[in-house]
This record gives sequence, C-alpha cells and structure tokens, in this order.
Amino acid sequence: MAILEIRHVSKFFGGLAANSDVSFEVPEGTVMGLIGPNGAGKTTLFNCITGFYPPSRGEIVFDGRRMNGLKPDKVCKLGMVRTWQKVRPLTNLSVLDNVMVGALRRTNSVRRAREIAFEQLRVVRLENKPSLLAGALPIGERKRLEVARVLATGPKLLLLDEVMGGLNPAESEEIIQLILDIRGRGITQMVIEHDMKAIMRLSDRIVVLNSGEKLAEGSPEEIVNNPEVIAAYLGVEE
Amino acid sequence: MPLHPLCERAMSVFLQSMISGILIGGVYALIGIGLTIIFGVMRVINFAHGELLMLGMYGTYYLFTLFHVDPFVSIIIIIPLMFVFGALLQKGFINRVLAAPEHNQILLTIGLGLVMSNAIMLAFTSDYKILSTTYSSSSVKFLGLSVSTPLVISFAITAAITIALYWFLLKTDTGQAIRATAQDREAARLMGINVKRMSIIAFGLGAALAGAAGSLISPTYYIFPQVGGGFTLKAFVITVLGGMGSIVGATLGGVLIGVAESVGGVYLGAGWKEVIVFILFLLVLLFKPSGLLGKSNV
Amino acid sequence: MLTDSLTRPAVAASRLPTALKIAAIGAIVVGLFFLPRYVESTYALHMMILIFINVIMGSSWNILGGYTGQFSIGHAAYFGVGAYSVMMLMQYRQIAPWWGIWVGVLAAVVVAVVIGSICFRLRGPYFVLASIAVAEIFRVTVLNVKGVTNGAEGILVTEIPPLTIGGTVITDWFSKVPFYYAGLVFAILIIFVTWLVRESKLGYYFQAIREDQDAAHSLGINLTFYKNVSLSISAAFTALAGSLYAVYVGFIDPGTVLGIDVSIEIIMIGIIGGMGTISGPVVGALVLVPLSEALRSNMITDALMKAGVVGEESKVGVFLKEHLSQAHMLIYGILVVIVILFMPQGVLGFLKKLTTRKARS
Repeated sequence: MAILEIRHVSKFFGGLAANSDVSFEVPEGTVMGLIGPNGAGKTTLFNCITGFYPPSRGEIVFDGRRMNGLKPDKVCKLGMVRTWQKVRPLTNLSVLDNVMVGALRRTNSVRRAREIAFEQLRVVRLENKPSLLAGALPIGERKRLEVARVLATGPKLLLLDEVMGGLNPAESEEIIQLILDIRGRGITQMVIEHDMKAIMRLSDRIVVLNSGEKLAEGSPEEIVNNPEVIAAYLGVEE
Repeated sequence: MPLHPLCERAMSVFLQSMISGILIGGVYALIGIGLTIIFGVMRVINFAHGELLMLGMYGTYYLFTLFHVDPFVSIIIIIPLMFVFGALLQKGFINRVLAAPEHNQILLTIGLGLVMSNAIMLAFTSDYKILSTTYSSSSVKFLGLSVSTPLVISFAITAAITIALYWFLLKTDTGQAIRATAQDREAARLMGINVKRMSIIAFGLGAALAGAAGSLISPTYYIFPQVGGGFTLKAFVITVLGGMGSIVGATLGGVLIGVAESVGGVYLGAGWKEVIVFILFLLVLLFKPSGLLGKSNV
Repeated sequence: MLTDSLTRPAVAASRLPTALKIAAIGAIVVGLFFLPRYVESTYALHMMILIFINVIMGSSWNILGGYTGQFSIGHAAYFGVGAYSVMMLMQYRQIAPWWGIWVGVLAAVVVAVVIGSICFRLRGPYFVLASIAVAEIFRVTVLNVKGVTNGAEGILVTEIPPLTIGGTVITDWFSKVPFYYAGLVFAILIIFVTWLVRESKLGYYFQAIREDQDAAHSLGINLTFYKNVSLSISAAFTALAGSLYAVYVGFIDPGTVLGIDVSIEIIMIGIIGGMGTISGPVVGALVLVPLSEALRSNMITDALMKAGVVGEESKVGVFLKEHLSQAHMLIYGILVVIVILFMPQGVLGFLKKLTTRKARS
C-alpha cells in the first residue's frame, strides 16, 4: 500500500519549472531514496509535499488524503514530518527541550512529552546530554537531534533532506544505522542524499530527478545500471 | 468649454493638492531612497533615519540664522557633512551589529536616534524654530494654480540630486559596486568588492540624502528635536511601498505618499492625514509586502 | 571549544537548588507585603508603585517579545486601551476602576487578536514596523475623536470611589498604600503567569517559534494561533498596567499612554534586564525606575557635586543642574546603545556570563 502518492506534481517559480510532472508512489514501511544532481528539484518537492508551498499542478496524496494546500503544521499533525538540508536546531533551547517541542505534538502533558523526548534521545544516542544547549552541539549531533525531534512527533512518514551532508564517515554510518532502525519500527522514510553508497544500502526503491523531471525509478540495482542516470551524474559523482 | 464654477473650484482644489503632493513627494523620495540604500546594502532597518533628517534641518537653520546662508545653498555643505557623519556612525556603531540578531540592530538604531534627538533638545531646547526666508510664503503661478515657491525649488533640487544619484549608481565603479553588494553580499565579497567599505559608503549616502531632505524642507516645516520620528515612519512606508532595496521604488513611493498625504489632508482634515499613510502602509504590508514594484535590486 | 563561542553557559539548567530559590522568593514576597507597615515615606512607596507598574509592563511584553520572539514596538496600544477604558468608564459612567480594569483587559485582548491576525503573517522588521503603525493609528484616532476621548485635553479623574466590601470601607484611595498593594498583587500575578507559561506546552511552543518559525511550523505548531495566544496574554497584562497607571496618576492623554515613547520604555525594561527570562524584566524595572527618578529629581547632579566631581558653581555643574532632569530619554538612548553593544543579553545575561567565567577559571 502506498502511503504517499505524488501525481503529476509540477512547481513553477515565475518562468522556472523547479518540478515538472513528477509522479511516483512510496510504499508503506519502505525507504525511498530521492536522488539527482544539484538543482534537480528534490528539496522543492519536499517543500511542496510538506506544505511550505502548494504545488502549481498535480496532487499529493498522503494516507489516502489529498494534501494540496495544507499548511506545514497540519501536514505534521497528519503524520508527515521533514528534516532540513541546512539543519535547524532551536539553538537556545536545550537538547531535551528541542525534542520535547516535537513530542508536544502528540501530547499536551509536559511530563509525558519529557518521557517521549528521552526515548527518542536514546534512539539517536544523545540521551547523555539533555541539558546542553542545542547550539553547542557539533554538526553530526545536531543532525541526530533533528531526527530525534521529528521522531518525537510520532510520524508515519519521515522526509530526510541530506541528513548526511557535511558528516564524516563515522557520523554517516551512525545515521545509516539510525535510518535502518527507524525502518525497523515501521516508519516510512524518503531520503534525499548525495552519498551514493549510503543510498544504495538504505533504499528499497529510488527515484531519480533531473532538472525538475523524473528521470528514472526502480530498485537500487536498476538505477545504478541505468545509462541515463549515469549520464546525468557524470562528473558529479563522489 | 467652461465648467460649472463649483466644478471648476473642486477641480482646482484637487489639482492643487495633487501638485503640492508631487512636489513634497520628491523630497519624501529622497528620504526613502536613503533608507532603501541602507537596507539594500546592509539589510539594516535604520530607525534613526528621521533623526538624520532632523540634523540636516538644524544644520541648515543655524547656517541660515548665524551665517545667512540660504537653505537651498547650504545643501552644498550639509550633504558632505552628513555623509561623513553617517559614515562614522556606521563604522563606530552599526558595523558592530551587522551579524547580530535583527532586533539588536533595530534597538541600536533606535538608541542612536534617541541620543541624537535628545542631545539636540538639550543643546537647543525643544522650542519650535521657524526658518523663514524672503520667499518662504511666496508662490508661483503654474497652469492657473498657485504653487509654493520653496516647494518648487526643493523639487527641482531633488530632481537634480536624484539624477546625480542614478548616474553615480549606474555609471561609476563605486556605484556599481554598491549595487552589487546590495544584490548579493557574499557574491560581491567573492568578486573582490570591499563590502565593509560599501556599507560605510551606503550609510554615508543614506545620511547625506536624509540630511539633504532636511535642508530642503526646513523653509516649510517647523524645526524641533522630535520632528525626526514622524519622518522615520514615513520613510519606512515609502520604502516598503516601493519595495525595500529598490531606488526606483522609493522614488515612486515618495511621490505616491506625498500625493496621498496631500490629497487626504485636504479632504479628510489635517488630523487624519497621518492615519491615511499608516493604513496605506498596513495594506501594503499585508497584501504586497514586497512592494508595489515587487522585489527589485538597487 | 564550541561552548566558549556562545555567550551563555552551555548547561541550561540553573545552578541554585530549587528549594533555596523558592525560599528566597517567598521571603522577598512576604517582605514586600509587610513593607508599607515599616516604610512610611510616600516617595519610597511611589517608587515601588512605579517599579511594580514597570515590572508588569516589562513582563507582559517579555511574553511576546522575549519568549515568542515577536518584537512589538507598539505595545502602547494595549497600555492605552487599558488606561482609556478604565478612565472613560469612571468619568462618563461612574464605573469603579476595579470593574473598569477588566473591561480594559477584555478590550485589549480583542484588539490584540485583531491586530495579531493581521500582522503576524509579517516577519522580522516588517512586523516591527506594522506594530508601530498600529499603535500610531490608535494614538491619532484617540486624539481626533474628541467627543469620545476628550482628545488632546485628556481625561482627569481625581475622585476614586471608596472600595467597600460588605459595608466596611477598605480604602478611600487617598494614600499610596492601596496602589502599592494593587501593584504588588498584579506584579506577582504576571510573574507567576510567566512562570506558568514557561513551564507549560505554551512556553515550549512560544520559544520554538522564537528560535525558528519554519522549523516550528513543520513540527505541528500553528504559528498564527500561538502567536495570538502569546499576544493576548501580553496585551491583557499590558492593559492592566495601563489601567493601574491611569488610576494612580489620575490623568491621561494620548501622548502619555499611547505615544511611541511608551512603547520604547516598555521594551527597554526587557532589553536592559534580559529578554526571555522571568527575572529579566524585574531587573530591568529595578534599574530603570530609580535611574529615571534620580535623573528627574536631580539626585545624580547633587551626588556628583557632593562627591566633588563637579563644582557647584562651575559651568558644567550649572548646566547639569538645569538640564539633567530633562535628559532621561538621552540617558535611556545611551543606555540602549551600551547594552546592545556590550551586554546584548541584558544586565542579567551579562552577570550570568561573569559568574560562569569565574566558575570556569
């Protein structure tokens, strides 16, 4: 069953088509990789999906429900959350408070939110520094914090935007394990990533965007052997 | 074909207020352009802009009363003086908060404005001063309507300054560097432009234009230390109307506000004309915050 | 190390044990309740009342500005709504102020929600400008509808009906003591409300909005709704401060309660003391009120002369004596510049920084 359906979605900014007639489905419980050269329209698609702006054309259907025009907070309440390409810690709040903001989406009780927050901090292995200000964390931990925060909202679908960007191999490996762990809990994920090896390991299926259009879709093996995909990436790889 | 006398009267009242509005609008444009340049280059909202105008007014007043320099001539002195003052302000104060959160920048300029207006009040008292020249209340005939002479002269000077400014920004290296910095600070820096220097020049320019505007309106406005506040707000309305960072927008915005105020003042009474400007402001902020001309570059 | 690059300690939790804190606060509150018994100077009471009003003004602004990050420089609108409501009701309908203030609070909340729904879609400096414009619209309107508000002449009410409960007269409002207690109670109330907000879901959501609106939005926070809640609380208490001020002083006009000077003084309390903290506005009030009173009453000039820094007959001395009392806005301006440049976290933040540096070394 597809938890997310992207049907002929286009997004225009003035004369520029950032997304052009993109269609695919994300099966529930899987990890969907979203790749493509810079400027392919991946983050734009995320922004459309999560309600930061509506698609110019097409439909976004989540859990059987049409999402076009819904605001980001409504989207979150329905079970879809995203992380940010440029990570956004709530700098002056502590690690714990950051995650509690996410948890409060699920409960009105501050005490219950604190419990949920601690759980998620354990999942991302940041439970040893709850009182530290988020702004004091190094980049790898900020990314994990952001993941904990969105997990705390209790999502059905998690959109991760270059969550491994700027991380060293050890940090990236931690994120990969995290994503597999989240997958094990039954949460569907869509992952934008430039790290090809990681995408190959993580994804059940991959969609390739290029210049706003969907170039290809398929299993990791199919994608990695697709000549058009290789051509689009020539010179951009690694 | 002759119109009914009442109709003709109404027409001439309307035209009169339109023309006054356009003339004063020119000066408003100067204020707006100054503010928009500062915003364009530094992304700083200068809440002390009206006080810079006020300083121009006081400078002009004392040049007139002590040295008998005609206000429209004293612009030649006021502009470079205010330019230096603005540059020093930027270097000494504004520069330190360019990287700070926005509200700190706002507060700093508010604080500087308070210091300027209250220092002047301490030095020269809050008495209303009037600068009257021989031609302060004379008027010229234009298309059968009488128009205030000082307004006409100030409009002419404003036009000259604006043309000079456009030439500077379009044709000189420094001017183009300023525009580049306003468009994309990082890219300008990478291209080798000294953005720090551009910021200093931009603030100096903004201050000079505000001061010039002060000189130009000194024959027709009461001069007192708190006069700046109303102009700061007006300057914001103008720049938001025209699009923050757009000089063309500020030019048109200034004229528009001048006309709206003038026409509104005639038909709704002097007390309400400020409200018109603010309501216009809110409407623009709500429906077209990028300004009537949209997001333009300097 | 990353923590050194931040201006505040990396550990967000407070250093003092909570029990000690509560005991200290309790002692101070009890002390304040008993103060009028032992302090008879009307001037001291006057200062305390001003401090209480400032605490209320500063703390209420702090909820919107410090915690939610919405920088309104138009809070005079709510202050004025409170002031005018209570005064107009007393003057024209003979309604006692202890009922009138709640009308003021209600009116302020209604006004706040309307303004908020319009202005909260604006961000950063645009919101600031809109807030200023709105307050100015209020001021000019009140100034012009002379029939209703008496315009520039203002409203003067010198006779407050005696407060009676079941036949016994509690106070006839002649001394300052009842105003002192009114101020104290409301100041404690706003501080308590601030604490409640901070510890609740509202507090977390407000601060999330302050830190990063888009992130907050994506985490399920309805921005406009929560900003409006914050503004409503803020406006309600600002109106309360305005009402208290109006009844205490006995005279209001558009300039004194709706002018931009009022809005600036309101934000200064939080800025000087420290935004986004409970005690910040209190510190701000404790700094600003004595300072402006000292300036107004020439205390500073006298002190400088006594200390021999400035000669009594000297030019500087004469100048200071004549003018320093009018200089309080100038001093405010200088203070703002100094605080922004050197103590952007306010006095409180600055002191915290000093103590953590000491602790580390």
